[in-house]
Amino acid sequence: MGFVNFLVYLAIMMGIYAILSLSLNLQYGFAGLANFGQVAFFCLGAYISTIIVLVFKMPFVFGLLGAMIVAGLFGYLISVPTANLKEDYWAIATLAAAEVVRIFFLNEDWVVGGGPYQGGSFGIGGIPQPLRSLFSAHTYPFLYLAIVLVCLVATYIIINTLTQSPFGRVIKSIRAGDNLPQALGKDVKGFRMKVMAIGGAFGGLAGCLWAHYHGFISPNQFLPLETFIIWAMVIVGGKANNKGAILGAVIIMIFYYSTRFLKDYIPIEEVTLASLRMVVIGILIVVAMLFMKEGLIKEKKTDY
Amino acid sequence: MTFTQVVLNSIVRGSELALLSMGLTIVYDILKFANFAHTEFAVVGVYLALFLNVALGLPIIPAAIMASVATGAFSIIIDRAIFKKMRNASGIIIMVTSLGLAIALRNTIRAIWGADAQNYSVALQKPIITEYFRITPLQIWIILVGLTAMIAFHLLLHHTTLGKAMRASSDNPELAQASGIATEKIITWVWFIAITFASLGGILIGLETYILPYMGFAIIVPVFCATILGGIGNPYGAMLGALVLGLAENFGLYINFGNIINLGGILNFSQELLIPTGYKPAISFIILILVLLIRPRGILGKKKEG
Repeated sequence: MGFVNFLVYLAIMMGIYAILSLSLNLQYGFAGLANFGQVAFFCLGAYISTIIVLVFKMPFVFGLLGAMIVAGLFGYLISVPTANLKEDYWAIATLAAAEVVRIFFLNEDWVVGGGPYQGGSFGIGGIPQPLRSLFSAHTYPFLYLAIVLVCLVATYIIINTLTQSPFGRVIKSIRAGDNLPQALGKDVKGFRMKVMAIGGAFGGLAGCLWAHYHGFISPNQFLPLETFIIWAMVIVGGKANNKGAILGAVIIMIFYYSTRFLKDYIPIEEVTLASLRMVVIGILIVVAMLFMKEGLIKEKKTDY
Repeated sequence: MTFTQVVLNSIVRGSELALLSMGLTIVYDILKFANFAHTEFAVVGVYLALFLNVALGLPIIPAAIMASVATGAFSIIIDRAIFKKMRNASGIIIMVTSLGLAIALRNTIRAIWGADAQNYSVALQKPIITEYFRITPLQIWIILVGLTAMIAFHLLLHHTTLGKAMRASSDNPELAQASGIATEKIITWVWFIAITFASLGGILIGLETYILPYMGFAIIVPVFCATILGGIGNPYGAMLGALVLGLAENFGLYINFGNIINLGGILNFSQELLIPTGYKPAISFIILILVLLIRPRGILGKKKEG
């Protein structure tokens, strides 16, 4: 793999994870909802878009919209039982929900049409890439990077506008406790559910982009560790700051992919290297929570 | 599988889960945060016991006890290094920190011992087979350890000064401190007791099945589910919740839901309708969601403000 190709690949991954990080930042950073199952949206988006495009032979745009709608609905649904409860319950309920989504796609191969190497633990291959025929193998990654960047910019603008609007002020007040927004007559439960739906939709978008870039998905790619990587991005970058969420995604992805070359220089087994990488991610979260609560880019405090 | 066998399996599972959920619930009660590293601490104990048992050749019983006590002590060090600095932080901050700790612990274990499944070196056991059920000596041990732990817990809470102080700190930390109860000392004991029990539970699961770095994550949902089901913060609730969840996990796969749809012959639904085994991990999630919807404070939970 040439160096330029690697950089393009890295940039595409950064873009996709930045969308996931912006989505989690909306939920945790702004609304204080500890979603430990962010990977569920990612996984749903990847599968729904694949089903729409591969099985129903519809264009990529429908896959993308379908992924966002279904993942958004899922976000809305999983917040029904927990919307009135404390954050501890959110954390465990979302963590468990993400596992159920993965178990579902692991057990039900019929949802992607069945057949050998289609669905279940084998995963699904041959997912079409949008506009692939118009470009050569060499130039196509650049086009895909452009698609990802357009999606990222759109996500940033929408979430940034939302968080600066009255909606954003209400969810920030919910983060500080239910009493104030309730006293102002705000429907706290409804706002939480909306946040999860919006966050879910963008998580689904990231999943769709991921699936069509790699052309292959399997339940093993959507393990809980993805959620933890996204958490590290939000915490290191700076919670409740959208630029911080993107910066966090860039830093963690550079760390994550650059350490892959480490095994060329020091004799280390792949599994050990993968473990050590996650040890660093875990320690980063702990250290950031202890010594750098605001993250790299601090939340902008506005006085009204 | 006979009905008796399913009940027996449920009790074994319930005993394992109870060892873990009792600790989770007292940490929550005294420190006011959901510890996502709880089951990972247990896995530290599991691998320490593996090291003592396989590498150093100790018999499993002393290995399990030594590893569990060492893990309990380890949790005190971690508390001093990390959680002590956040005593006044909100529960969500400490919870996210414990998630980071969980990731670091799990992967440190994977880096040292590898990702493959391993086993303790114990002699193969001959199961006791009767007409109604079969049980291995190990399963009898699991039930006995679980029962002993529950009784020890009860005696500790109600017949020792430490237990009284723990209950006082749980009810009203400020008042307890004002009455001269050393909160920090109680916190140290709570960590030690909670994690020692958790480690024992983990080792028993490791003995019954096999040992994987990932096993802490595999049991985190059932353990939290048992804790919430019984009423988070209530040790007796955690025991009851563990038993109920053990029954639900085993009966969930045993019951033919086709018969239930039939309503005793009113409907003619002859198909067999069993939950596929692949969905066993999903049962505790479904129960968790039901509890959160119907009775979030759990079976024995006290009504709290807010």
